[in-house]
Amino acid sequence: MRIPCPYCGSRDLSEFVYHGDAAPKRPDPAAENASELFYTYVYLRENPAGPLRELWYHASGCRSWLIVTRDTRTHDIAGAVLAMESAS
Amino acid sequence: MVERGPLVLRPASAIPELCGSVELSRAWVLACERHPQLATVIAYKGRRADVAARLKDRYALSLPDGPRRATRGASALIGLGPRSWLFQRETGPALEPELSEVLGDAAAVTNQSDGYVVFRLTGPRVRDVLAKGISIDLHDRVFVPGCSVGTTCAHIGVILWRLEDANDVSVFELAVFRSLARSLWHFIEESAAEFGLAVTPAC
Amino acid sequence: MTRLGSGGLIDRSQQLRFTFDGKSYAGHAGDTLASALVANDVKLVGRSFKYHRPRGILTAGAEEPNALVELGTGTRREPNTRATTVELFDGLVASSQNRWPTLALDLLSLNQLLSPFFVGGFYYKTFMWPASFWEKVYEPLIRRAAGLGRASGLPDPDAYEKATAFCDVLVIGSGPAGLMAARTAARAGARVILCEDDFRLGGRLLAERVEVEGRPGAEFARSVEDELAAMPEVRIFRRTQVFGTYDGGTYGALERVADHLLAPPPGVPRQRLWHIVARRCVNAMGAVERPIAFADNDRPGVMLAAAVRTYVNRFAALPARRAVVFTTTDDGWRTAQDLIAAGAEVSAVVDPRREVPDSIMAPLARSGARLLRAAKVTRAIGGSSGVKAVEVAQGGSLLRIEADGLAVSGGWNPQVGLTTHKGSRARWSPELSTFVPGSLPEGMRVAGAVSGDYGLSACLRAGHDAGSAAAQDCGFAAASPDVPRAEDEPIAVAPLWHVTGGRGKSFVDQQNDVTVKDVEIAWREGFRAVEHLKRYTTLGMATDQGKTSNVVGHAIMAELTGRPMEDVGTTVTRPPHLPVAIGAFAGRHRGRHFKPTRYVSGHDWALRHGATMVDAGQWLRPQWFSAPGETDWLTSVIREVKTTRLAVGVCDVSTLGKIDIKGKDAGVFLDRVYINRFSTLPVGKARYGIMLREDGFVMDDGTTARLGPMHYVMSTTTANAGKVMQHLEFYHQVVWPELDIAMVSVTEHWAQYAVAGPRSREVIQAIYGTAADVSNGSFPYLACREIMLGEIPTRLFRLSFSGEMAFEIAIPARYGESLLGELLREAVGRGGCAYGTEALGVMRVEKGHVAGNELNGQTVVRDLGLGRMASSEKDYVGRIMAGRPALVASDRPTLVGVQPVDSKQRLRAGAHVLALGAATTAENDVGYVTSVVYSPTVGSWIGLALVKGGTAQVGTRMRAYDPVRNGDIEVNLVSPIFVDPKGERLHG
Ligand SMILES: [Zn+2]
Repeated sequence: MRIPCPYCGSRDLSEFVYHGDAAPKRPDPAAENASELFYTYVYLRENPAGPLRELWYHASGCRSWLIVTRDTRTHDIAGAVLAMESAS
Repeated sequence: MVERGPLVLRPASAIPELCGSVELSRAWVLACERHPQLATVIAYKGRRADVAARLKDRYALSLPDGPRRATRGASALIGLGPRSWLFQRETGPALEPELSEVLGDAAAVTNQSDGYVVFRLTGPRVRDVLAKGISIDLHDRVFVPGCSVGTTCAHIGVILWRLEDANDVSVFELAVFRSLARSLWHFIEESAAEFGLAVTPAC
Repeated sequence: MTRLGSGGLIDRSQQLRFTFDGKSYAGHAGDTLASALVANDVKLVGRSFKYHRPRGILTAGAEEPNALVELGTGTRREPNTRATTVELFDGLVASSQNRWPTLALDLLSLNQLLSPFFVGGFYYKTFMWPASFWEKVYEPLIRRAAGLGRASGLPDPDAYEKATAFCDVLVIGSGPAGLMAARTAARAGARVILCEDDFRLGGRLLAERVEVEGRPGAEFARSVEDELAAMPEVRIFRRTQVFGTYDGGTYGALERVADHLLAPPPGVPRQRLWHIVARRCVNAMGAVERPIAFADNDRPGVMLAAAVRTYVNRFAALPARRAVVFTTTDDGWRTAQDLIAAGAEVSAVVDPRREVPDSIMAPLARSGARLLRAAKVTRAIGGSSGVKAVEVAQGGSLLRIEADGLAVSGGWNPQVGLTTHKGSRARWSPELSTFVPGSLPEGMRVAGAVSGDYGLSACLRAGHDAGSAAAQDCGFAAASPDVPRAEDEPIAVAPLWHVTGGRGKSFVDQQNDVTVKDVEIAWREGFRAVEHLKRYTTLGMATDQGKTSNVVGHAIMAELTGRPMEDVGTTVTRPPHLPVAIGAFAGRHRGRHFKPTRYVSGHDWALRHGATMVDAGQWLRPQWFSAPGETDWLTSVIREVKTTRLAVGVCDVSTLGKIDIKGKDAGVFLDRVYINRFSTLPVGKARYGIMLREDGFVMDDGTTARLGPMHYVMSTTTANAGKVMQHLEFYHQVVWPELDIAMVSVTEHWAQYAVAGPRSREVIQAIYGTAADVSNGSFPYLACREIMLGEIPTRLFRLSFSGEMAFEIAIPARYGESLLGELLREAVGRGGCAYGTEALGVMRVEKGHVAGNELNGQTVVRDLGLGRMASSEKDYVGRIMAGRPALVASDRPTLVGVQPVDSKQRLRAGAHVLALGAATTAENDVGYVTSVVYSPTVGSWIGLALVKGGTAQVGTRMRAYDPVRNGDIEVNLVSPIFVDPKGERLHG
């Protein structure tokens, strides 16, 4: 599999580290139900069959965290963006 | 207490000695070790333009906005990531203090001169050797002089770039973490053995 | 000899000697082992897997199920090599498999008499119980009686390697379609890689008497090859099988670099595994002929019809002098023509079809062959030396026709494997009576016989069109069409899967000895889905993966169930399409080079000073230094510990991770990733820190020092350096991108050495001389400072892992070895020594410091007695989750020291802790011993343990139970700090 890093270009899968679904965001630790929110954030994932926005770390390349849109059924990759730019 | 003279520390190479497999005249791959000064430059938030301007001002170097290597004289600037670069200079005074002063509060400058060993590889079969470890398209028209990549070579992290051709033969340099230099050299030796490898300081 | 006097694509000027089962033969350059055996009239080449039936050569390609031989001897012996694809070389040594004691007299063929036990599902029925019999009785028995070849059992002497290649268009197969695809794409300007499994390009062009542009097929193939070879953007990979289709246009291929040589030349690998990254692919892998099942259809001398043509036309070797052809296809008739043209006799052509076009029969009208329509071969008569006659049923009568060979054609199976590796299914074509590719992997086209286009002209056109389209997809302009002229030979087929009525076994899968009857048994017993049929009968397993057998077996199942083939379908295939040696997947990464090794600057220095090195992740570190006369490790370690505690020791700690963290938010960032505060740390000070994972468990520990207002340097454990960097980048880039920081690993730039012991300050002061004052007042515990040592920048820290007064000095790595020498010289002058990781470990356990064994991913800070470090005034990663009830429960195992009651007894790490007198059950388990060392300071083995109620239990006596090593001793639970509990030495 090849992943199109926005900085480095098309790279072999072996250069990346997989993290999982990019949707969960670290909750507000000051929230009243913080422990509940954190439990969900740390452990619960949807695991959809189809396109999924995922976090990948380009460990052996530019060391950027990426958000890669991958179809979990076919491994087809629709695109990738830098997580840092996507957040701001 | 033992009396002795003033402390003298001697630099040592990361690899005791590079050895080729054949004489120069029979080699299809040539290699040597380089010792440039290196420093990473990481732009602080929102300061990329300042970094670019100050480097342009002082060194006439354009900040690459991708995995490329810009050169001017003995200095070069290699794109490592969206806001980080590796400054390389073969000669001159101590690099890190100078760069820190030039860039001021716009970027973090960190000395890496001892963090990497740089191998220069050339010869008619150099691409065949690199293809055994690197899964990057190094075709003559794709990976042109000035291109660079951070990638792995035989599972060893490297920064690879291509210099201008010498005598119509492609020239590549690989920077590898110092601790991994022996392992990378082992890869080069084994992978180049079928073509014939020579070590020459003038490569 | 059955070698023809002329013709063929062999070099008769080059004679090659080889042996088969110890007997010497000769062949020519251009032969395969199989063709050379055919040319030497060797019919019997092996015994079958289950019944040890005599077997010959069935095919002329990689699909061969029978002619598997052991190649080479000694360390280079390789089993299950297909004789049909082995390129002959001088000195080749091959031997037959599955026979004992000899091929001709095989005692295990008695298995045939036991065949009632070997029917479909026999593994499941026969070897059901008792379970304990599997390992001891059944498996060894099965392996001896039934099985493929033997591995050498010795280390492989050859090298393998991996490589990556990139192209616009990958063309798989160099038959007429592949050659045209490659030529057309290359002429358009595309970067082309052409892979051919064979050692010669041309595919069926080499095996058929056909013409292209008025020239023989092989000549045409050579001309295209010459054109391609001259083009700089074309790479031709011969002897290279593409075995897998992977994601993103990546293909796996195996190049047999030196298998056609006695041994690889120096420096040359035996095989090379290619990752080919292609923007487009033209799959022109062709089709393989399928057999027909009839009684004793596995006799040596029964061969597929197209293979017969290959041996006759390409190799000038006659598989039969007097042949019968049994064909249900038009092209099978050409086998008869080719045999006659080569001077052989054809006794009969047997075709089950009622109508056969005159144009096909006419050329044989005056040949003397009996042309039997509406007829079927019911049995091959003969023995282990080959076919003697053929039994044919026509109308109501049985004919016996004398023959020494039988050519069989049951139609063609496109090689759909590579089209299905990404999950799509092959589609049944009722018109062609075969499976053709279904939906294709992105970027792949099929051309020629692989898509069911069998005619030569059709193949040339399809190859041209696919090559042109692929090049256009990559942005190259279409070249002007140029499709060579050729005939489309007749290719009609009327499927016939098996013939009933003959006496004897009718084989569907010759490699696994699966018969028509086995398929019937599977059907009767309800294993009717093709995937169940496969597992129940082993149909389509082993090295050939059913290339000649699957479709026949599935068609028989379709007949039995009365369902159409569309519904029955075929089994899923996965890479590799053909067998690949494990060594090729490993490449150069074996032995010491399984993973890269990281060497410290002082590596050679350590070796010169008697170090024994130990793997620490990728690093090699000195474990201990043997002084002259020391022969066991413990003696050396005890000396190193005592010397350090009494005088001074020097230890290489360069492998610890070091991360420079700079920027105006560096302090804030550290406050968020560490449980304790760093934003308030004064410049010139260091602090011990702990970071958690977000789930609340401890991730790593280390000291972080503040070198400037906006500059910290963090240290991590050796093992977690990479993981911590990734963790920090995650929180910086994904969670808090608003923070303005810059992080970079400086592990490699700085070599770092610990100098510990009461005389450590003297050593450090001697190194710095007047450059720095390292007295207690100027440089107290936890101080840090950047100091120039002449021209060389250094970093000095006052840290201690041993509990002694200690310093760590960092220096640019090129000076590491030199500094080590100076440090040791100063230390030795004060009665000191160098110490390794073993002594380091002893001293940290004596001091009660946690390390990897305790930071095992299952502990929270309170478990380690470090709960008070956690700040209650700020948030940090893992804070919320660490507050979960189970993680703050008072009965969690927490850190204590353990010490044997009898100081002579040896404690073992991993031992379980139980109350005295408690039964040794899991319920009574109250904890376990994490780290154990021999402490010269205490004078016994001591350990750290995680025990329920930990601190409250200190003072009690318990039991350390170690059933694995028969350890069962009484221990005292004590404070984890065995040495200097008040920390007086530390502050020196
Ligand atoms: Zn990248």
